[in-house]
Amino acid sequence: MHALDTVVELSRAQFAATALYHFLFVPLTLGLTMLLAAMETIYVITGRAIYRQMTQFWGKLFAINFALGVATGLTMEFEFGTNWSTYSHFVGDIFGAPLAIEGLMAFFLESTMVGLMLFGWDKLSRGKHLLVTYMVALGSNLSALWILIANGYMQAPVGSVFNPETMRVELTSFTDLIFNPEAQAKFVHTSIAGYLTAAMFVIGISAFYMLRQRHVELAKRSFRVAALFGIFASIAVICLGDALGFINGEDQPTKLAAMEGLWETAEPPAGFNVIAWPNQDEQKNDFELQIPYLLTPLVTHSFDTPIPGVDDLEKTAAQRIRSGIPGLAALQHLREHPNDAAARAQYEAHKADIGYARLVQRYAPDVTQATDAQIAKAAADTIPPVFPVFWSFRVMVGAAFVMLAFLILAVTYSLRGTITDKRWFLKVAPWMIPVPFIANEAGWVVAELGRQPWTVYDQLPTWVSASTHSVGYMIFSLTGFVLLYTIFIVIEMFLMVKYIRLGPDDPHPGHGQGTPAGQGNRVSQWSEA
Amino acid sequence: MELYVGLKLIWWALLGVLLIGLAVMVGMDMGVGAALRYLGRNDGERRAAINMIAPHWDGNQVWFILGGGAIFAAWPTIYATAFSGLYVVMLLLLWAMIVRPLGFEYRSKMPGTFWRNAWDWMLFVSGAVPMIVFGAAMGNMLEGVPFHYSWDMVSYYTGSFITLFNPFAVLCGLMSLALALYQGATMIMGRGTGVIRARAIRLATVSGAAALVLFSIGGIWVSQMHGYVVTGGLDPAGPALPLNKTVVREGGAWLANYRAVPWLWAIPAMVYLTLIGGVLVARRGMGIVAWWAGALAWAATIGTVGAAMFPFLMPSSSAPSQSLTVWDASSSAGTLGWMLVFAVIFVPIILIYTSWAFHVMRGKVTPESIANDDHAY
Amino acid sequence: MKAFLQFIFWIFVAFVALFLAIVLGERGAWYLAWVLGTVMIILIAVAGTVMLDARYEDEPLE
Repeated sequence: MHALDTVVELSRAQFAATALYHFLFVPLTLGLTMLLAAMETIYVITGRAIYRQMTQFWGKLFAINFALGVATGLTMEFEFGTNWSTYSHFVGDIFGAPLAIEGLMAFFLESTMVGLMLFGWDKLSRGKHLLVTYMVALGSNLSALWILIANGYMQAPVGSVFNPETMRVELTSFTDLIFNPEAQAKFVHTSIAGYLTAAMFVIGISAFYMLRQRHVELAKRSFRVAALFGIFASIAVICLGDALGFINGEDQPTKLAAMEGLWETAEPPAGFNVIAWPNQDEQKNDFELQIPYLLTPLVTHSFDTPIPGVDDLEKTAAQRIRSGIPGLAALQHLREHPNDAAARAQYEAHKADIGYARLVQRYAPDVTQATDAQIAKAAADTIPPVFPVFWSFRVMVGAAFVMLAFLILAVTYSLRGTITDKRWFLKVAPWMIPVPFIANEAGWVVAELGRQPWTVYDQLPTWVSASTHSVGYMIFSLTGFVLLYTIFIVIEMFLMVKYIRLGPDDPHPGHGQGTPAGQGNRVSQWSEA
Repeated sequence: MELYVGLKLIWWALLGVLLIGLAVMVGMDMGVGAALRYLGRNDGERRAAINMIAPHWDGNQVWFILGGGAIFAAWPTIYATAFSGLYVVMLLLLWAMIVRPLGFEYRSKMPGTFWRNAWDWMLFVSGAVPMIVFGAAMGNMLEGVPFHYSWDMVSYYTGSFITLFNPFAVLCGLMSLALALYQGATMIMGRGTGVIRARAIRLATVSGAAALVLFSIGGIWVSQMHGYVVTGGLDPAGPALPLNKTVVREGGAWLANYRAVPWLWAIPAMVYLTLIGGVLVARRGMGIVAWWAGALAWAATIGTVGAAMFPFLMPSSSAPSQSLTVWDASSSAGTLGWMLVFAVIFVPIILIYTSWAFHVMRGKVTPESIANDDHAY
Repeated sequence: MKAFLQFIFWIFVAFVALFLAIVLGERGAWYLAWVLGTVMIILIAVAGTVMLDARYEDEPLE
């Protein structure tokens, strides 16, 4: 493999690893802050101390998760610059703004209020503390909003134009950027996936307590809040997933083809591949199990729209590469002769396809000399790896439906008041905690691996986006991240399990030297409530 | 004056404000982290020190995150070039910063001595290393960094990792660490009592004096070093393309702005004034006044560098004509304008609720009060 | 004075809400759906749990 290719592949591996790791903690933060706000609302409405205890207990677990979310989020902010400097220069005029606004509008709010939420219980009135908790929830979700506006631009670049003078895309419409349909659907889908994650987390741990006959009153109530919160979240996340798929399918037909394992254009009415074994080399599914007629209405929301398959998409890509080649050549010429009218005209005629020409640059450094074989190879590159995208998508959707079914039962049992008798259900529930996390990670893979080979769809290929580092640098940083992150997750899981086992009675076992936190102590603490 | 020129100037000033905010607020917490083992000789004292900044470190840290985001948004070429060029240093900074939230959040979650000592040292590393790197990065900007661009604006860094830690950069790093220790110590003076407060006073005196000495040495060094001068082809209203100008390196050039506009000397004078005054009031135990003196000292230090380098932001030592300046490394006018709108709306709001948070959590923190507080770290 | 400040605060909140509803209703339908949906789920979860307590009202809790 080419040294440059190795660096790009290592950079991708590092980004994927750090992003997937960060995304383990984010959804739980998004949802748990909302659940904490709901719990504390009940406390303020009813004035019952048990809800204060409940908010504080889940708040403690939230804090353990939040610390690692913040820590690993730092990496993400740096990594665009450290490892994707060409990308950063290319999109900086657009991509940086939502990141900065995220800091101004959301992260400052969230982080300042988190301090007050965790430490201000005795210093703030009930109403003010509740307001603070809502601000934390709002802040964390607004963070997700701005990050996904930035990500939405990578998926479907809008509101910008490429400036050949500065060699980057520049902002033309800020409102187009923030109301990008892709960003909107993505934000709502991701935020609500977070709600679902938190609900499953709270349900699983509450069930564990009920099963062990510990903290039953608190667990029963936590279970009820989370189950009601979760059932709506699971319905919403499925509906929004469908909407996102529809919007994304129009923006990125290559991702859609990979998600559905469509090697040939699907004339309506097309069958839906429930499961299949995609084989990228031979461009076919080695095995497939179809439900007839389902695919067309499912992804196009109509009965007569054909869905482009890999075969036609590659043909279109090859055409665009051929069209982009004179555009790229003209751009290169314009850099040295900015006043050449002929080159300007040639550039204007082909500028939409320049991104495609840069795909073939990987095989033919001088694109004007590209052979048919090289163009075909670059066209084949426009299809993301089908197998992982196809299967990640099915894992995500499957997990969503499993959780929906689980939550229907949870709500039923909780409303009937029979939950403590359903021991089999209580036994299953803790094992359901990983399910939303798996679904979140799979969703990330669908969204970001499915975007390949682009960092900015249709505009900037991944292979030109990375920084010009040596392989040694990349091995150094990758090793560092793997080591550190492994240690962190071990510590985090250890503390999480430890605090879950301890339960809500002892809010702070770390205070070993102080008075042992006995029951009497607790009662006096909460008697004011 | 053209609108674009004005926007670039405003964002140059705002970059300074962000760096000052970062240095003062994050530096304060890092100073406490780095001096934790000195300020507290036993676990109770250390926990008291940590809990003085516990409700605020996270909010303060956002200055750092916002700094990164704002450089990305307003100065994307700098973000792309500096962060990738200083790769290994940036990673050291990053890894140190990652450990910090965990140090605060996890340290007191378990009672074991080994556990807590280990996190104490983590807090030391994650306080000292980022401040040294922050200062060293500033030093490197003054000296110039070896980078250049290809025709399509792909940046290439041609130096090695070790050149980033040359003697001048290390000096700047130590200066930055000294100021952070001063800032942390004055914070502890305000909220601590007894021995902790006494140690904080001693630390503020020593680190304030050290910062003054290091600043003086640095100043003499800069006056002798090769600075950069634009000799032509730079249009303040021009596009963000750093390839069309000519720049030369010249001995003592970093003093050119001071020679041209003599009242600029007031800025470095301000460093002396605030640090000497700060040390004096710190010795008298006036924590809050000393804290503000330190904040002004940071502002004046960063202002001194900014005034010396203007219009340069990141000079290239290997291809001086491709240096990044205020006029050719910014975002487009549209982005700068939109960002300014958001900054004007949200910065005052941030200042209001941050002050409110400090107000709510005001008051002395002692080892005894921590032992009885279920919400403390 | 305090009442007046509170009045100003809530008027401000009302204006922000109106502004958001108008802007989001026009171009950000999904964002608006998120705002309304989140408020709705929280209210239902809260109400449903308060109901649980109403049911156990007779049993002493604390």
